[in-house]
Amino acid sequence: MGEVLSGLTTGFGVALMPFNLMLVLLGCFAGTLIGALPGLGPINGVAILLPIAYGLGFPPESALILLAGIYYGAEYGGRISSILLNVPGDSGAVMTTLDGHPMALKGEAGRALSLSAVASFVGGTIAVILMTLFGPLLAKFAVTFSPANYVALMVFAFASLASLVGKSTVKTLLGALIGLMLATVGIDSNTGVARFTFGIPDILAGIDFLIVVVGLFGMAELLHLVEQQVTGRLKTLPVDNSFVRWSDLMATKWTILRCSLIGFFIGVLPGTGASVASAVAYGTEKRIAGEGGKNFGTGDIRGLAAPEAANNASAGGAMVPMLTLGIPGSGTTAILLGALLMFNIQPGPLMFAQRPEIAWGLIASMYVGNIALLIINLPLVGLFARMLTIPQHYLTPLIAILAFVGIYSIVGNPFDLFMITWLGIFGWFLRKLDFSLAPVILGFVLGGLFEDNLRRALSISGGDWGILIENWKSVMLYGLALVVVVLPIWLGRRARTLPDSDD
Amino acid sequence: MADRIFAGVLLIVTLIYGFIAFTIIKAPFQYDPLGPESWPRILSVVATLCILVILWKPDTDSIGVARQTWFRLAAMIVLLVAYAELYEPLGFIVSTILFGLIVARMLGATWRRSAIFGVCAGVFGYLLCVSLLDLNLPSGDLIEVFTQRPTSGEGAT
Repeated sequence: MGEVLSGLTTGFGVALMPFNLMLVLLGCFAGTLIGALPGLGPINGVAILLPIAYGLGFPPESALILLAGIYYGAEYGGRISSILLNVPGDSGAVMTTLDGHPMALKGEAGRALSLSAVASFVGGTIAVILMTLFGPLLAKFAVTFSPANYVALMVFAFASLASLVGKSTVKTLLGALIGLMLATVGIDSNTGVARFTFGIPDILAGIDFLIVVVGLFGMAELLHLVEQQVTGRLKTLPVDNSFVRWSDLMATKWTILRCSLIGFFIGVLPGTGASVASAVAYGTEKRIAGEGGKNFGTGDIRGLAAPEAANNASAGGAMVPMLTLGIPGSGTTAILLGALLMFNIQPGPLMFAQRPEIAWGLIASMYVGNIALLIINLPLVGLFARMLTIPQHYLTPLIAILAFVGIYSIVGNPFDLFMITWLGIFGWFLRKLDFSLAPVILGFVLGGLFEDNLRRALSISGGDWGILIENWKSVMLYGLALVVVVLPIWLGRRARTLPDSDD
Repeated sequence: MADRIFAGVLLIVTLIYGFIAFTIIKAPFQYDPLGPESWPRILSVVATLCILVILWKPDTDSIGVARQTWFRLAAMIVLLVAYAELYEPLGFIVSTILFGLIVARMLGATWRRSAIFGVCAGVFGYLLCVSLLDLNLPSGDLIEVFTQRPTSGEGAT
């Protein structure tokens, strides 16, 4: 406990420095804005702004604080377009449209927005508190991990990814493999052998992480926007003066609490982020509500609070494995992890001990950021709502300009601009074919770690593959991987044999 | 069908990847049991299996993009490539003004508003990024020629 307190002291020392405080506020504000724009979610916002944040030459903890602010700020902002436009900012906000938009149609937009802001705040705060308590414990446990354990952990990560993310297991797995294969391009650090470079000097050091991220999540999103182009303005419902009532909060307090916990633990699972968390939370609440669950989908306040608490809690939960194990809990944290690697910081169990200012500074900034978000979201929601009407014909070129600025300003190589364009086209095709893109980036970020640990494990054993399963921790992780893959299939079968179930 | 075509292309790429992993990559000497080739070999085998499953049981019939949308997408890609191509020669300001104007116009803004948007993005974007944020953006060969004519220095890049 004392360790946690001293860590928090260090953390708040970093987060409350005027410069970092300004970055938290800036990140939260920009994040809310990005999240509120229809079609742009946290992952796109972080991806597009990452190279610029990197190019500004901040110290790593400041850059990370800014990017994390954008991340959970965008989880906050996603609800605005869901409620007012019925267009979710990203997949994590889809569930919010179900009850949020009907409420706005009934003339209760203000109530819906303020209630969801409170739910988001509670979800986010509970997640940070749990993170403060469990993060260091997990890190202490993970210090004892051997390379073989890490291999098992990776297998578990990819198993839960394949089973829980995306529409098709095989496609998610193949997406992750594409990422892993992209990560093998470049010079092998153990032996100095060039792999798959075809003599192109630009990729000898590997395909740059920023290029992959901006290509897949910036440019592919841009092409998606062009494809879905809506001519004219979207109609937003007006924000009225109704406000969340004390009785609303009392009625939803257990819902918010339960869903925050659900969101946090789903966020901790590698690879599964806000979209899975909010879907599970909504489904659970609907089942718990029993008879009253019939109102879900027509503007029930519980149906609004549940996914909002869960998706913000999952953003905090996803940070836990990233900081303690070096394995991101969601697509967006995969980008944050890559950002840390660019600063030559290897996130993992030792980070709490070796770079406390980063680990604890980030955690402390999330406390500050959550409060800041609640404060800017309650009175300023009208301002953000007006931003929703920014026509897409300005937004689309703006994304391209930002992406180009970011990528060019790093090394000033025009070759990179073509690379992001081609990767954007590739990413667009993947999206159109129902591949989700998050596994690709997870595979890309984890590729090096996975390979290194496998090789290290086999070096220790002198080439005996048995080392991978001779430790109880590895066996336990393989067991968990099996559970994660088998359980949804089994549950699906059971649901089918009970035709009377309500959904 | 769309799935099969895409999976087919990926299969070719993966087979080439696997071929390189199995035949070409080799460390001149190594102490570890696993060399640089083992990991790509594992990946190529697993990826091939996944692709075969998709080829066997595809689940997306067609991409469902209308002909007109294809045109718009193709135009967007051409514009992006042109923007990348002209980024250094014309410099950030001029290329961004052109790009912003044409894209905004193509996506439905009026000429006047597109022009205002393009000029704002180019000029204010440059001022913001270069003066305030200190980022490195191309000022453009043309502009360099005009502004640096008196010195006409060789190393003025």
